[in-house]
Amino acid sequence: MGGKVSEHRWGMAIDLDRCTGCQACVAACHAENNLPVSNPEQAALGRAVHWIRVDRYYEGEFPNIRVKHRPVLCQQCDEAPCEPVCPVYATYKNPEGLNVQVYNRCVGTRYCANNCPYSVRFFNWFDPEWPEPLQLQHNPDVSIRESGVMEKCTFCIQRIKRAEEEGANNLQPACVQSCPAEAMVFGDLNDPESKVSQLAENSRATQFLEELGTKPKVFYLERVK
Amino acid sequence: MDRRNFFKIVSTVSGAVATNACGDKKPLIPLLVPENGIVLGEEQWHPAVCTECGAGCSTIARVMAGERVIERGEEKFRERIASIKKIEGNPLDPVSGGRLCARGQAALQSLYNPDRLRGPMRRNGTRGEAKFTAVSWDEALKSVADKLKAYSGDQILFLTNAPQGTRALTIQRFLEALKAPPARSCGIGDFALERKAAETVFGWRGVPVYDLANAHYVLGVGADFLGGWLSPVYYSRQFGEFRQGRGGVRGHLVQAESRMSLTAASADEWLPVRPGSEPHLIVALSRMLLDEKPAGQLPDAVAQSIRTADLAALIRTCGIEEKRLRGIAHELGTSEAPLVIAGASVVQSNSFEALAAAHYLNALLGARGVLPPQPEPPSAPASGNVLEAMKRAKVLFLDGENPAYVLRAAQSLGALDLIVSFGSFLDDSAAYADVLLPAHHALESEAAVVPLGLGGVAVTQPFVRPLYDTRPIGQILGQLGVAFEAVNVKDYVAPMLPADQTWENVGRQGGYWKQNSGEAKVTAKELKWSEPVFAGKPEEFPLHFQPYLSLQFHDGRGANLPWMQELPDPVSSAMWGLPVEIDPKTAEKLKIATGDWVRVESGSGHLEAPAYVHPAALPGVVSMPIGEGHTHYGRYASGRGANPLAIVSPVWDGAAGEFAFGATRVRVAKLERKPALIQFSPQDREQGPWGER
Repeated sequence: MGGKVSEHRWGMAIDLDRCTGCQACVAACHAENNLPVSNPEQAALGRAVHWIRVDRYYEGEFPNIRVKHRPVLCQQCDEAPCEPVCPVYATYKNPEGLNVQVYNRCVGTRYCANNCPYSVRFFNWFDPEWPEPLQLQHNPDVSIRESGVMEKCTFCIQRIKRAEEEGANNLQPACVQSCPAEAMVFGDLNDPESKVSQLAENSRATQFLEELGTKPKVFYLERVK
Repeated sequence: MDRRNFFKIVSTVSGAVATNACGDKKPLIPLLVPENGIVLGEEQWHPAVCTECGAGCSTIARVMAGERVIERGEEKFRERIASIKKIEGNPLDPVSGGRLCARGQAALQSLYNPDRLRGPMRRNGTRGEAKFTAVSWDEALKSVADKLKAYSGDQILFLTNAPQGTRALTIQRFLEALKAPPARSCGIGDFALERKAAETVFGWRGVPVYDLANAHYVLGVGADFLGGWLSPVYYSRQFGEFRQGRGGVRGHLVQAESRMSLTAASADEWLPVRPGSEPHLIVALSRMLLDEKPAGQLPDAVAQSIRTADLAALIRTCGIEEKRLRGIAHELGTSEAPLVIAGASVVQSNSFEALAAAHYLNALLGARGVLPPQPEPPSAPASGNVLEAMKRAKVLFLDGENPAYVLRAAQSLGALDLIVSFGSFLDDSAAYADVLLPAHHALESEAAVVPLGLGGVAVTQPFVRPLYDTRPIGQILGQLGVAFEAVNVKDYVAPMLPADQTWENVGRQGGYWKQNSGEAKVTAKELKWSEPVFAGKPEEFPLHFQPYLSLQFHDGRGANLPWMQELPDPVSSAMWGLPVEIDPKTAEKLKIATGDWVRVESGSGHLEAPAYVHPAALPGVVSMPIGEGHTHYGRYASGRGANPLAIVSPVWDGAAGEFAFGATRVRVAKLERKPALIQFSPQDREQGPWGER
């Protein structure tokens, strides 16, 4: 760190003209990141956790009604509203532009979630339960969070690290990897040749709630009308 | 995992040591991994086959060390074993292309489900009471073998949801040796009508494959191909290509369906046709086209039936404006690559006619995107009227099918002499069993599965040790006192392989695949269509009721997977329980708001569930996703929500005798009970009566 300029700046492009809203990405994220599973009582209180969700909007009235899907995950904002409000620096920008969450620094003020316009930060209100032998599915590359800490999408930082260590060139977060319609593309925004950089320049590319000035690193390619 | 890297792994597995690009030596993985071969922190990838639905996607499983607790008497100790961490699509498989749907990924939670059966058991309570005692395999097998001797022929009924492949063929051989009729499936989500229509119109055996990716203008009718129809992963990939995969051409999708499915939501235009008017829509469009262009490949008699159809009446039935239909007919007729994809995601009494009419419409259009399936081997389980077969039967074998849930067959189950279940779970039907003989989980078994319609075969060999005291299905059947030979994967696959493929390669790659090709030639000469039949008088039951295969739970079998229970429903964002979808006008009339409890009543029963006022529901059409409402299915599913199939009246498709589960009329009433609907989406929560999170 220490002010070093990183060679990577990770970003994502999601083509809403391809996205079908099938939620394969949601399941992939659960599997990859050991997301806690709640129960009806906790879920009713709004305590279910999905680092990525598919928002759906109904526009118009029957019969002239349209449905729009939009997968929403942490937008990895350059000007992240969650960062300055954390009293203990548990959330900060890492040298590769990722908005990271340090679990063992977090004291659970929940200010960050309160300040996130995308509703993508989740507080652990309870210790997750993994009745034997469900714990066998845990990904050993990702720590299990306990109650009292905040968590969110990391762009699968464990995969980024593995790829860097092993020199692999097939880096994809779990959601991108799973997407059957190939609507999601991940890559380095610092590399002008990367697919994600090119898609970010596409005439259909927008950023979610860009008027807030959060400067997200997730680009949405709007559906063709 | 991408294609190249996976290939790099699989192509080097057979050796003992290989050299990587940097020149240092790494140990390689033998195909069958001993538990002690697991190195902490190191991952291995093994090919598997998904059996969460019948599509037959090849997958790869990430295996790493895991710890489980085993109990021996009073003692508990931890054991390190090879465990599956994640399931992805097999990048070498053109069906999945390395991608996988939510349910396929959640298969992991079926393997490691805390409610799996640990070994054989025998009933010790009354039928359906679900009280069982653990017994030894010898005792359990002997008790079944002794009883089985007294029965033969029609007295034996075998229900399985095994897709085409080794398991289905093993079961077939067992039944042949027993001189019993072929195995059957319960008839939801097995696409028997699609098979029947392809056989009738083209003489094909299997479901047709649609080349969506190369089409320009597509009309979908009743087929939720991005949701749960045929092979959602294959069609989602095709859809991505269809939309944005070709420079310069963006495919246009018009979807005609009586509900806003995932496919309708992704379409450029949605035609909200009335339930059961799908044949009318297709014939109306065909008539409009025939007025403008020659009949093409269409048989004369079919062209004649279309020309003499009463267009005004057809249009009235489907409830879409004539001008709009003419526009679509024109676009289809002038498109360079038109394609009609018809299916019966919700089966009506006349669905077969819609499917046949769509095949004729493709012939009229000269559509090139209807490809012949890889012919199915004759081990395909028949569906049809399973309830009738159950009345004749005395002995019932259950392999993954759940007639008590799907067909409300609990009463018939109670009357049987012997019920044996091979499933991994104590579900609604297994609760009535006399003996539970749990087979290995699919992820612990060897298997070859033929993908639905698509060419090739997906193969898996065991790569993790079975967790419990279970046995391979072939071995269990072989120990029931009937002499037959179980199918071995290698013997099954080897004869199917072309000259350039070896068994060893196919085993390592997880299968081999070939492109479907060929022409669709109409061999039939007849087109018929009829008015749909619905159970229940309109004056008594004013609303249509459409249960549909849910994204999360499919035909209900996914309901015990915690990830799927927590996956927000694509329509309502509901979790841990699914609502009844009601259109805003009907809801207003009945003073129903989202979250209110309602009672849905048909001539055959009633259910209670929360309501979701669905802005895109057809007026007067109530829909409900299938999946919840299990009496028994482990801690995550038992006693949760309502089963829409439980109030469906038995109507059978006129032409093919399939279960028309969308042909029931109902009435809905609001219940005075505290509103409750668990939703995930932030905007729903803000609008709901339970405030923000």
